[in-house]
Amino acid sequence: MRTLEEVRATLQIAKLKEEDLQPVTHCLTFGSNVTSGDYCLMELDDTLCKHIEAGKSLIIRGDKDEHAVLCSEDETYDLKMADTSNLLLFVPGCKTPDLLPDSPAHPQLVHAQIWGCSNSYWELRRQRPKLKKLKKLLSESPYSGPPYGTQQEVPQQKYTMEDLLGRIQASREEIEAHLHKIHACEIDGHWRMLDFDYELKLLGHVTQLVDSESWSFSRVPLTVCLEELVPLEPREMIEHCLNCYGRRFNTEDGEVMYALDEDKVCSATAQMLLQNAIKFNLAEFQEVWRQSVPEGMNTRLDQLRGLTLVDCSSKPETISLLRVEDLPEDTLERFSALFGIREKWTQDDIEPYIQDLCGEKQTVGALLTKHARSSMQNGRKVFNSRRPIAS
Amino acid sequence: MVQIVISSQAGEGPAEWLLVELQGEMISRHNTGLSGNLMGDLHYTKEGVPVLIVGHHILYGKLVNLDKPFAVLMKHSGLPQDDEGVMETSEEKPTSYTVSALIKKKLIFKTRPKPIITNVPKKV
Repeated sequence: MRTLEEVRATLQIAKLKEEDLQPVTHCLTFGSNVTSGDYCLMELDDTLCKHIEAGKSLIIRGDKDEHAVLCSEDETYDLKMADTSNLLLFVPGCKTPDLLPDSPAHPQLVHAQIWGCSNSYWELRRQRPKLKKLKKLLSESPYSGPPYGTQQEVPQQKYTMEDLLGRIQASREEIEAHLHKIHACEIDGHWRMLDFDYELKLLGHVTQLVDSESWSFSRVPLTVCLEELVPLEPREMIEHCLNCYGRRFNTEDGEVMYALDEDKVCSATAQMLLQNAIKFNLAEFQEVWRQSVPEGMNTRLDQLRGLTLVDCSSKPETISLLRVEDLPEDTLERFSALFGIREKWTQDDIEPYIQDLCGEKQTVGALLTKHARSSMQNGRKVFNSRRPIAS
Repeated sequence: MVQIVISSQAGEGPAEWLLVELQGEMISRHNTGLSGNLMGDLHYTKEGVPVLIVGHHILYGKLVNLDKPFAVLMKHSGLPQDDEGVMETSEEKPTSYTVSALIKKKLIFKTRPKPIITNVPKKV
């Protein structure tokens, strides 16, 4: 080990004056672990740093043909290897000047070992999780109600939460939020998507009951609902339907109530009407739609943003089903698909179909500037593809 | 799909280490590899400027707080279970990582190293 005399001798040769320096010198040597290669550096953001300091773990998830991602409980990051031309040495027990004791009386040597060195590190970038696969997996065996009589449910591929965590590159919270969004339901420990017709059937039971009992849509009592509908459907499914299409709350007397969401009910009805047609005459559709929703609910076209596309250029005007969740997940592919459907889009029309692509702090406008070219058409600003689209 | 856990210890959290960033490569003089070898002396001037003497060079640097801190991860490779000396073909433990330390500051030495001249010819 180096001695004080040796350090002083070096300083002399280097023509550095001891009095210009602080009295503590760190003698750095390479530790035995340095060449083992069993370690690496990972760049963090504030959130992850706090996460680690709190003792929480992180999980790397990767499939053979997918990029690896890093997940905390509630966020997903893209994981990439970054190189630097500089050499990075990491040293435990090496103090910075602010942490050194104020001028100890005599010079001191601290022997610090360099634990590792590297010229690359893992770089993390926050990203929106790839959740489209979730719906795809659950669509393999949608639930359409309990089996009748002695009929056995056909054995199908079903997934528990643990199964999903092992297949979807997203954090648990992000997966849970998405399951809620797609109206999935946990049945016998497996997460199941509802067959849409079955979902509508459940909703129909509820809205018909509301009508026959003359309840307000914003005060649907859970207990009575269950009592009346249990002969028709399992109570868990009735409650699930209420959770999907309403907001649960307690009254002053502690009774559990639901406020049905008009927008959700109307848009589900619209989807039912449009799912079997390629296009519908807009005016006719609006009339049929208005008559199909529960009495007392009002329909508005803006309830259908991200679900349908209106073609104002055709005569008569038409409407068709176009769901954002059916479009590609990748940004470039999504834009290609959208421009393949329609050559020129106004920002208002395209916005619901690209909103989810925006990065943290990125606006739809910025996204359009990046991926599309704008021009004027009939006095309005429209966007078209930057690249030729194969027709 | 592969799932690899990176765990940290609960409690006070991982230790904080310092990063020293240098330009170029470090090669051992005697080709014996780096382990166990002396790297250099790190001094601080009274103004807090870090000075590193490595071999025949003096490097002046500065202390920087990292915008993005680093975690030092230690890898634990999956090895076959080896219970009481009996080699079983039971399933491998998956690879996992633990956080050994966090790094929030670095000393970066970017200036051209100044050579230390030990033999100055005397004026005649």
